[in-house]
Amino acid sequence: MIRFIFKLWQNYKEYILLIVLLITSLIIISFNQNNAVKKVRAIAFGSFASVTTIISDIINVAKVKSENERLRQVNTELMLQVSRLREYGIVNEELKNLLSIKDSLDYPLIPASIVSKSLSKSQATITINAGKNKGVKPGMPIITDKGLVGVINSTSEDFAIARTLMNFDLKLTVKDERSRIDGILKWNGEDLVIVDVPKTYDVEPGDRIVTSDLSSIISIPVPVGVAAELTNVETGIFNQIKIKPFVDFTRVESVFVLAIVQSKQKNDLELNFFNQK
Amino acid sequence: MRSGYILSILFFFPLLVIQTTVIPLVEIEGVIPDLILIMLVYYAIRYGQIYGLILGFIYGFFLDLIAGSLLGSVMFTKTLAGFIGGYFSNENKREIYLSTYFFSLIVLLCATVDSFIFSFFSSIDLTRNIFISFFEQGVFPGLYTAVVSIVVVIFRPRRSIS
Repeated sequence: MIRFIFKLWQNYKEYILLIVLLITSLIIISFNQNNAVKKVRAIAFGSFASVTTIISDIINVAKVKSENERLRQVNTELMLQVSRLREYGIVNEELKNLLSIKDSLDYPLIPASIVSKSLSKSQATITINAGKNKGVKPGMPIITDKGLVGVINSTSEDFAIARTLMNFDLKLTVKDERSRIDGILKWNGEDLVIVDVPKTYDVEPGDRIVTSDLSSIISIPVPVGVAAELTNVETGIFNQIKIKPFVDFTRVESVFVLAIVQSKQKNDLELNFFNQK
Repeated sequence: MRSGYILSILFFFPLLVIQTTVIPLVEIEGVIPDLILIMLVYYAIRYGQIYGLILGFIYGFFLDLIAGSLLGSVMFTKTLAGFIGGYFSNENKREIYLSTYFFSLIVLLCATVDSFIFSFFSSIDLTRNIFISFFEQGVFPGLYTAVVSIVVVIFRPRRSIS
């Protein structure tokens, strides 16, 4: 028997080893949610990110000049917009006072730079140089001046890793800003799409898509993209809407972490409601 | 050969830094070349199939840990890529494979398998045509990686990096 096993190993050791390592990889996949594994990963990417920070800083310095010019132009445009919005704000404030509506649009922003990107067709992630020390927590959205980039997935002391919208594991509730229709946004490996939208719903190419109040991850309206194309699914009653994101994930360098996490109070309330049923 | 073992691990980390900081600047339609895979195939051809698949497993482990992908998924695909790369580790033809454009063809094969199987771990969508997915998720990233691997063939030092 031992001779047979030895002979088998001698003749097929490459294949045996291949099968053993592949099975080991598959077993390891099941440990992804393990807390100890999460801790080890946080330490690993934190240590690695501190090295990549240096390189990305050098790359960013080279881009600073053109970025400054662009920002100056954006600044001027924003200045004009701000003066217009200020007027609206005053009117809005007066109307709110009349109706006694509480202002709830004050969210702290944590500035950060992207220190490394892991771009793949299906699991794009970014590492930013802001972590627990700056108050970054898993679940917080990452934005730029253009719109949503992604959501924080895990954090270490000084760094955080985030799933971008180009990540298959990130699904968000979004809405059409014009028609107020909600849907689930996801990355299908090729495009950003809103899935299972009834064919009768009013969504048109060019409509702005923002995150929905119904979202348990980002419940304030953050711009996501524009509806680019309605994919008419031949069978069934649902359509798919292709979304062109506002943010170019491959070019983005500086981001802000929106320091909000899903409301525990709201979740508890909703859970209680369902439990009572 | 022993120094080659150490070098293959030592080269990994600087290359990973380049892969995550510089390489995203040359993306085409969201596709980037995989430098780690090029190095893996190089060492797999140089030192054989067993070495290739163990090295693929180790590279995959570090990549999963650092890049934030599903832990185990890159380990799986890189192990397989190392195995395929090592298949071409023939004592008589090794130098031919490493110093001619055969190397890029081997990289194309390994990168295509690596990318396509990796896509199964994360974005399997049964409603999409499997052949279109194969080209988009497998062949295109594989081609880009293979094209970049030509640099290795051109600039490979006469005295190999072992």
